[in-house]
Amino acid sequence: MIMRFIKLTTAALALGMTAGVSQADDLRFTVWTGSEAHLSMLNEFADGFKATHPNTNITFETIPFADYVQKISLQIGGGNPPDMGWMLEGTAPTFIQSNILADVSDTLQATANYNFEDLSPSAMGLWQKDDAVYGVPFSTSPFVIFYNQSLLDAAGLDNPNELHAKGEWTWGALRDMADTLADAEQGIYGFETMDGQGYDGRVWEVLVPLVRSYGGDVWQGDTCTLNSATAVEAVQVYHDMIFKDQSAVPPGEMGDFFNGKAALTYTQISRASKLDEADFDWGIAPMPSGKAGSAPIIGQAAVVVFKDSPNRALAEEFLAYMTNEAGVARMAEFFPPARASVLGSDAFLNSNSRLTPSAMRIVANEINNGSVMPSHVNMPVIKSATRGTFDKLWKADADIEAVFTEACSRINKQLTRK
Amino acid sequence: MSTLVFSKSNRKDAAMTDVPWKRYLNRVLWYATLLGVSVPFVFPFIWMVSGSLKSQSEITAFPPTIIPETFRWENYVEIFQYQPFAQQYFNSLYIAVVVTISIMFVASLAGYAFAKIKFKGANLVFLLLLSGLMMPEEVTIIPNFFAMSTLNLMNSHVPLILLPVFGSQGIIATFLMRQFFMSIPNEVEEAGIMDGLSRFGVFWRIALPLSGPALAAVAILSFLHSWNLLLEPLVFVSDLDKFTVPLALNNFSDAYGLPLWHLQMAATSLAVIPVLLIYVIAQRHIVQSFAMTGVKG
Amino acid sequence: MLSVVLKTFGDLMSALVSQKKNLFSGETLSGWLFISPMMFGFLCFFIIPVIAIFGYSVTEWNILSQDSTFVGLQNYQEIFTENEEFWLVVRNSLVFAGGLVPLNIALALVLALALNQKFTGVVFFRTVYFAPVITAGAAWAIVWSFLLQKESGGVNQLLALIGIDGPNWLREPNWAMFAVIMTRVIKNVGLNMILYLAALQSISPDYVEASSLDGATPWQRFRHIIWPLLAPTTLVISIVTVVGSLKVFDHIYLMTGGGPESGTLVLAYYIYERAFEFFEIGYASALAVILFVLTLVLTVGQWLLKQKEQ
Repeated sequence: MIMRFIKLTTAALALGMTAGVSQADDLRFTVWTGSEAHLSMLNEFADGFKATHPNTNITFETIPFADYVQKISLQIGGGNPPDMGWMLEGTAPTFIQSNILADVSDTLQATANYNFEDLSPSAMGLWQKDDAVYGVPFSTSPFVIFYNQSLLDAAGLDNPNELHAKGEWTWGALRDMADTLADAEQGIYGFETMDGQGYDGRVWEVLVPLVRSYGGDVWQGDTCTLNSATAVEAVQVYHDMIFKDQSAVPPGEMGDFFNGKAALTYTQISRASKLDEADFDWGIAPMPSGKAGSAPIIGQAAVVVFKDSPNRALAEEFLAYMTNEAGVARMAEFFPPARASVLGSDAFLNSNSRLTPSAMRIVANEINNGSVMPSHVNMPVIKSATRGTFDKLWKADADIEAVFTEACSRINKQLTRK
Repeated sequence: MSTLVFSKSNRKDAAMTDVPWKRYLNRVLWYATLLGVSVPFVFPFIWMVSGSLKSQSEITAFPPTIIPETFRWENYVEIFQYQPFAQQYFNSLYIAVVVTISIMFVASLAGYAFAKIKFKGANLVFLLLLSGLMMPEEVTIIPNFFAMSTLNLMNSHVPLILLPVFGSQGIIATFLMRQFFMSIPNEVEEAGIMDGLSRFGVFWRIALPLSGPALAAVAILSFLHSWNLLLEPLVFVSDLDKFTVPLALNNFSDAYGLPLWHLQMAATSLAVIPVLLIYVIAQRHIVQSFAMTGVKG
Repeated sequence: MLSVVLKTFGDLMSALVSQKKNLFSGETLSGWLFISPMMFGFLCFFIIPVIAIFGYSVTEWNILSQDSTFVGLQNYQEIFTENEEFWLVVRNSLVFAGGLVPLNIALALVLALALNQKFTGVVFFRTVYFAPVITAGAAWAIVWSFLLQKESGGVNQLLALIGIDGPNWLREPNWAMFAVIMTRVIKNVGLNMILYLAALQSISPDYVEASSLDGATPWQRFRHIIWPLLAPTTLVISIVTVVGSLKVFDHIYLMTGGGPESGTLVLAYYIYERAFEFFEIGYASALAVILFVLTLVLTVGQWLLKQKEQ
């Protein structure tokens, strides 16, 4: 027994000791996808890179989306940063400010045929500071409406694209549509917010599209403007859908658009892959307009290199390799690109087997006109400080203005804090 | 140390012998009450298994069903495709085995010394050790995080082994072993010393072989403790391939965080049912192991 | 390598003891050698960390910026005077412990008294009530959050059978706290039940019999004979349960994440969140110091109480 114990322990120790230490030419690349299709595409890049760098091994490490920023931060804080990885837009200012990301501009400039100017300036906004470049977006994915055409047909309603063509695709129209299509008997809701999570950590993905399309924003400069009359009016629409019409999935419940349990939702096009086995017809449409017209929202993700990576130069080269024109075109199958040349191409319009070229044109349009989600150096703290406050919105008798005023007093503290 | 014996009380309830129908009614009420109380203890397991066999659309259906319309056994296949659940299951198993064996070894050594060897500082050290018995892991997790980072042990299983062994679970085990060794008469060991055994020899050849029941209890408690650990894996492990079962269970959501209840229930069933089966077979031993932790010192 | 260490370890001790034949004296070195593996680990992963949190707690230290500055007692000042959230956490922790401990102990006692009777099926019920104890906390919490969904959840379905329209358990602050307490009680009550059962069975039947002959009612018998005899067990159970309630993490993390409206944000979870989600190491360490002191006071306090009683 003793010998077995010794063997096991030594094995365990050896396993652990080698785990954190990377070899000279090994790159550790963190991602939040576990999808085999995504990973095999990424591995294609790794293989392609080997042609010029035969000794380089790249491993893609999957960290679940929900914990991604946390785990990466812990690795960095613990002094074991990955070499490179994916990074979400909301985290960019915090990470740039904390001096964690490598400035890759020199490498990109030195790469032949990289065509840096092709990257759309609006998409690069978050990742550039003066002349420094801290990441290259590989996915600029707009929020779009997904609708269940079968349910619309059964009810004899125009679909959102038809309404959009007539200029009638507004939040009010969406509310009416959801109200008509909701069917409590069948357990079908009219509307589900993004990934059904609008009440928790991702309440921002619910508030921001509404508020912006009504002409407001969560803050301007150092002042929170969420308690403005416009913002309150906008959110009231959604509140009424939950509590008056009972057409939207309420807190604590699960609708599921992708299984036919909700007639409408909005999310990013990568979710189309969840519809492969759907037994209903569906389509995508632009986000509805509010009082101030349309205000498309883009979710963004970039490839970054971590400053303390032991293989920083190599990692920067791989970043340049992945995000050159050919690389971006390859990734467009899953991730709408930030390169103007790719976005306008027929190749892009035909890149997603699940979506028709006309649907992809909607995507391209929204990207061109969209703005990214709000971000701030203190974003993690802002989110935590307001979490409890926003929970108060989801009651039938909630006073939205009062809740937003309380949220603003918390947000303002963080906006001005250095 | 008192051992728990589930002897039946030989006292008869006088009130129940009065009238036959009254006695009968009493019986029925008695069992009905006990069964009623059982509901919240059993229902979660039933609901878990039922959910694990439903399709994704049936699981959110309203009103829900207890017996699925069609049994979707594929769920139990899909969980292994969704994430490396077999690897994760193995991780939990081997970590629990290493933790258990380490605790048995370290705790029986220390427990023996505290029980049988009179040495300077023993009482003070034992007291110090006991101060760690009750301390929540949250108190020390922050410095331990930095310690493990410095040792380059992040995203490895080493912290998940070291911290339980030398944390509260190891201390409980030390305490149990000490209690047990104290109950062994000194005469038994003296005979060994006469035969020329060293102190370690006495421990290894005489005391340890006698301590089977205590070691078994320590093993059961340590294994379950490690198997159930959540905070430490959460802090120290980030790679899916290195996840343990509790972390993996919480990760059955689609790429964007929406829970996939049907897969989650299937995975949870796989994590829970083997332990439950072993428990039902060996419940006497297992229950007694837990009972030992309450024995006052 | 380890086998060598182990052998040396054994040899050292043999050498030591064979020199001194006397069993009961001069064994200080061998005693220390026996406890050294445990104590070395305990020193590294417990004693030093406890000292370290005191050090960390007087710094402002963000994990990301990786530099820390000495700020004196500023973190404590912020916790006690500026951060309203902390007092909410204190309140929640008190409500949690105040709800969980009496419920757990009372239920454990009732179940133990019931299972101390003689009837067929007693083993079955004991097995059932104890089953959640050996079930992984994470699994238990996940299944319960599934059960506690508003419409499609099993609990509200059961309630609907008897005509009750169940609340949105994990979405309303008071119900969420109630739900977390109840699921935790059901998870752990079996352990306390077993401890009580062991104590009950060590009570000599003669005691009880004598009192029945005196014509005492069952309640009097319990109140004046059994309950006092259970006092030592009750004390041990209280200590373990009170301190256990301070440790609650997995239920909160998996069922509510501290919400809604921070209604289930308790101290242990708050430390985790501050340290590992918001990376405020200094601040979280100050909170850890508070938890350390609180645990110490409670444990020592109850222990002193016990000494006084004896």
